[in-house]
Amino acid sequence: MKKILHHRRSWMIVPAHDPKLADTIAQYKPDVVVLDLEYSVAPKYKEQARANLVKTVSTIATDDIEIFVRIDKASRWADVDAAMHRGLTGIIFCGVDEESEITEIDALINTKEKERGIDPGHIELVIILESAKGFWNLSEILQASPRLSAVGVGRIDLTMQLGPVPQHEFRLFRYLMTRTLVAGKMHGKQLLGAMWRPDSRGGVANQESTKLAAQQAKLMGYTGCICATPEQVNPMNLGFLS
Amino acid sequence: MITTPENKNKRSSINSNNPMPKYIRRSILALSIDDPILEKKSFDSWADAIILDFSKKSHCNWQQDILSRMPSAIAIAAKGDAEIFIRINNDFAISELEATVFPGIAGIILKGAHSAADIQRVSSALDSLELSRGILANSIEIDIEVNNAACTWNLLEIARSSARVGIFLLNEQELCANLGIQTQASLPFDPLEYIKSELITVATSIGGQAVGMSYPLSLATDSIDAETLRKGILRARDTGFKGAVCPHPDWINLCNSGFRPSEEEANYYVKVIEVFAEGIKRGMASVPIDGKMIDVPVDLRAKVYLEWAKRAKARDTEKYQAHQKP
Repeated sequence: MKKILHHRRSWMIVPAHDPKLADTIAQYKPDVVVLDLEYSVAPKYKEQARANLVKTVSTIATDDIEIFVRIDKASRWADVDAAMHRGLTGIIFCGVDEESEITEIDALINTKEKERGIDPGHIELVIILESAKGFWNLSEILQASPRLSAVGVGRIDLTMQLGPVPQHEFRLFRYLMTRTLVAGKMHGKQLLGAMWRPDSRGGVANQESTKLAAQQAKLMGYTGCICATPEQVNPMNLGFLS
Repeated sequence: MITTPENKNKRSSINSNNPMPKYIRRSILALSIDDPILEKKSFDSWADAIILDFSKKSHCNWQQDILSRMPSAIAIAAKGDAEIFIRINNDFAISELEATVFPGIAGIILKGAHSAADIQRVSSALDSLELSRGILANSIEIDIEVNNAACTWNLLEIARSSARVGIFLLNEQELCANLGIQTQASLPFDPLEYIKSELITVATSIGGQAVGMSYPLSLATDSIDAETLRKGILRARDTGFKGAVCPHPDWINLCNSGFRPSEEEANYYVKVIEVFAEGIKRGMASVPIDGKMIDVPVDLRAKVYLEWAKRAKARDTEKYQAHQKP
């Protein structure tokens, strides 16, 4: 692994087409910048977001900033093609269900590394679990590519798929976090996630509850988390502080 | 095959079909064969089971050293009628088994296993050792000390890998460290709650049982006040654990009285069985006791738990008799 993984505490999502993203990064100073091609980009801006990536990555990439691109599962081939440029650290792939999806994306990244003069194996792959199937196949998924460096738990999508009413306690969450922890540790991956509370989670969590969610996750063996809003970067960094 | 009288696996004393729990191993104490007062510590402990640990001396042939000392250590540790187990490190399992497996042990505690293949390898080695050392074939148990992520993930395959697999011992300190979980009990919930649930379910599914303690006592390494410990043991029992590895001898008496139905509970089960039997005679399918409905499953549960209480009491009697011997 190129970097010390436990320094990647806050993974701040910014829409890849956001014209102010450089200012946002400078203001909040996350450990990892996640340029998003998924939920935070409206369909009509997707093309623009992809087209901007090469310039965006080269503009914001410094020795202090690691850049990942979160791809949309439905358009992952085009998204990977658009994201693969020098300066990129890795790809975040959400909603993986099975090993073959990793094998396929790994082969695509291999090809693009060769085409674009990127060191072989340089681009990391991070997965976020969002389905029951993905959880069940986790050990096989984590062994599917040597570039896979971290695994996270996608709470909102899981809530939708597994059925608990979103505004109430997601009782399955601790089980899913534990299962992911065991598999992740077994295969030596960084664990991403936080112990969110039902009334204060993801995009609606305030700074105090974000910090608490990170602190409890750290005690559980997790070392970083996706930040749905830039305001979560600081409490996430504090909560996951070694 | 020779059956030696020293083989003290307590399975042989259980006469009912599929007893629950399979073994009466409420308190398990780890002691070193290097301990100069091993005999006194094991005899005075009143533990149901003793795990013998050993260290490998660097200045001599460690295998020869252990081979020469282990038989007497087993005999000495068993004087109080505890079942004797030897703790084996998975990484050096074969050489350690050769140095430690002798008549008189109930099983080995395999620490650090990762997969079913580890268990199968140990089981094959035990086949040979039982044959060469005059031990009843397939009598030595393999018990699994769960202390790493791979062992946890592969639990079901490990449990099904050999008919020798008996109990699972959760080493919570080491598992937490392996998983990167804080080993200070500072979370408002049990971080291993789901792992414990899986462990108990898997162990029971193969007819075995799980040994562990409730959080946060499961991370304790020393003496605890009696009332706190009593409550922790009750919670562990009601979660499904059938015993605990005691980090301190003070735990043993409370584990022996706690990992079983209490006298009060046993008396209640007797009442349930009697009242239900009377109801059946009168042609009823269910009867009330203290406002609760007693039907077939409640009656069956009462019988199982009463049998458990009787077996625990019988085990105490066995140990008492051993302690009266000159």
